Amino acid sequence: MPGDDRTGPDGDDATDSTPVRPRERFEDVDWDAIDADGHRVSATQLAALAAGVLYALALAYDVLLAAGDPTVEVVVAGSTFLWDATGVDWLFVATLLVLGFAAVPLARNRRLTAYYWQRFRRHRLAVLSLVYLLVIFLLGTVGTLFIDPPTLHVAAGYQPPVFLSVDASIPTQCLGPVVDGQCRGTWRYPLGTTGSGKGLLALAIFGMRVSLQVGLIATLISVTVATAVGATAAYAGGWVDEALMRYVDVQQTFPTFFLFLFLAYLYGGSLFVLIVIFGLTGWGGIARIVRSEALQRREETYVQAAQSAGASGASVVWRHIVPNVSNSIVTAATLNVPVLILSEAALSFIGLGDVMLPSWGQTIAAGRGDLATAWWVSTVPGLFLFATILAFNFLGDALRDALDPRQEVGR
Amino acid sequence: MGLKWYTARRVAWAGVVAFVILTVTFVLLEYAPDAQLARVQFRAAASGRSAEAAAEAYARRRGLQGPLWERYLDYLGNLVSGDWGWSDSRSQPVVTAILTALPYSLLYTVPAVLLSTVLGIGIGLYSAFNQYTKTDYAATFVAFFGVSIPNFWFGIVLLLIFAVHLGWVPVLFDSELARTRPLSLANARQLVLPVFVLATSAIASTMRYARAEALEYVRAAFVKTARAKGASDWRIITRHVLRPTLVPLSTILVGDLLGVILSASYLVEVVFGIPGLGRLSLDAIRRQDTALVLGTTLVPVFVAVVGNLLQDLAYGWLDPRIDYGDR
Repeated sequence: MPGDDRTGPDGDDATDSTPVRPRERFEDVDWDAIDADGHRVSATQLAALAAGVLYALALAYDVLLAAGDPTVEVVVAGSTFLWDATGVDWLFVATLLVLGFAAVPLARNRRLTAYYWQRFRRHRLAVLSLVYLLVIFLLGTVGTLFIDPPTLHVAAGYQPPVFLSVDASIPTQCLGPVVDGQCRGTWRYPLGTTGSGKGLLALAIFGMRVSLQVGLIATLISVTVATAVGATAAYAGGWVDEALMRYVDVQQTFPTFFLFLFLAYLYGGSLFVLIVIFGLTGWGGIARIVRSEALQRREETYVQAAQSAGASGASVVWRHIVPNVSNSIVTAATLNVPVLILSEAALSFIGLGDVMLPSWGQTIAAGRGDLATAWWVSTVPGLFLFATILAFNFLGDALRDALDPRQEVGR
Repeated sequence: MGLKWYTARRVAWAGVVAFVILTVTFVLLEYAPDAQLARVQFRAAASGRSAEAAAEAYARRRGLQGPLWERYLDYLGNLVSGDWGWSDSRSQPVVTAILTALPYSLLYTVPAVLLSTVLGIGIGLYSAFNQYTKTDYAATFVAFFGVSIPNFWFGIVLLLIFAVHLGWVPVLFDSELARTRPLSLANARQLVLPVFVLATSAIASTMRYARAEALEYVRAAFVKTARAKGASDWRIITRHVLRPTLVPLSTILVGDLLGVILSASYLVEVVFGIPGLGRLSLDAIRRQDTALVLGTTLVPVFVAVVGNLLQDLAYGWLDPRIDYGDR
């Protein structure tokens, strides 16, 4: 019995004067935890269940009771805090919950996390990217709740960014000091304004939310489908594998951008539809990666052990194959996010997105006509877009290095 | 199984893929909300006529009545026989519109592909031979820059700097000039920026693939032997590393490069005002000209299908180790 073996060489040695702390070694197996794992619901599972129930209740409340009204209305110190959650917001909250619970194993297994961090840290640019992305993430999620959305303010059109000046004839009405016929930027609009007087800083921050929503939600959908398809194909083999992967072949032949474009033209308009299109059609590449990794895992002895112990196919895939290909999944997902962010920006740049949405692509398109006079309108959101995509690419590359020693670095 | 059988199977597979894609587009079109129909109905209802009769007339005009399978066969037959429908917004057949636009697209995509392939392979090989040096890092950074920069924004910024501020290149693309004197210096000047933008986004993947593939051979035994026998660096690069590298590279490139070039050119044309395929497609989208949108979407899709086929065939022809029995 495993429980009997637990008293190791220095377990309950009575002659020892001081109680010896069990050393944290690789061979020390916490059998209690493993036994408990099989029978009881763990704290994490309980928390996930609670979060899921709460989420469902809140969603039901929003759909059934608060149909037209704002979902949340709190008065704090005189100012009303309003949040009318949209369908995309609900998807986003669900995505963040899933991501949060997906990170639990990392928080629990400190040593592994430290090991990964040590490997990851060698890439200085990637660490910098991570910091930048965390800032973007916080601004885009928490920040947007406390900042007023950009509003039309025609009198404040074409204000230059702070510290910069522009000929006073260009802004509708210079809000900052006018020095020698040059209008200088004010701190009211640190990054300047568009032609209709929307502050570019606020636009950029709300654009972060749009980009994050597109990138994270659609990637989560893609990863879920891709993992299911890839792992099933690899584990089942035979005609299931053949059928699934042939389907992926066909889907991958359709150039992604044109698939998005065509679907967005036919069904598009709203961000919700765009995200669903991205998520449900952009998973082919990840599925191929998952399949090729899972094919190798399938031959491992631990899979054979699980099979001979009587585990069902689904449980082998879910408990043994998926966790062991998760490194490749994380890397592929990270590299999928920038592609989607870029696609969304491109589609809204050519006018296929939601016109009311403060997306970066939209703002870049809005500033195109004013290049000669107000260059900052297109430049500011473009810089954010570029930096975000670059950061995700650096991050993905470093993650591949840190998590995926098997994969080739050059690809 | 021999090469012939392999080739036949790949060609047949490409046919199946094309067929599946056409079927899917038919289904998508069938169930998509028809903005034009809605407009027709609205107009009829607004002027007091029956919206239903208007919808019927509209369906008759577009050949939308009849059982589903009959329309489906018509659709397939028309597309295969080159009748891609009538463009309402341009009052000309879709095929004519596409053929008029295509040369403008080729005008800058062909130089961009050549440039990015030659430079990409060159820099990739250089990086592989000088791994972990400053130049290698610089090249890697350029690759990251290339994949990360949104090419439509990059185009705008370059226009701002080189056309608006410095005045080195014209702001507006002169299609008349491109049509009448495609080989003139003036035409080359207006094509410099589009080619540059397209090449930056395409060069990145070429460079990284070339580097990764070449790295496998840089320390191979046969390269060491060649070096020991006194072969010059140039000979080692061209004869012993480039040749085996080209086999996987040529196959990876077709598919990868196509995707990048096709989507990037779409946006580049919008930014630079080149009246090519991308511009045509965008105008069709704005005017809700579904036949033209379908046509301009199917062109890159079929280019991709053929590209994938060529890639597979090239693999079979170039790499003698490939097992024809597999797939």
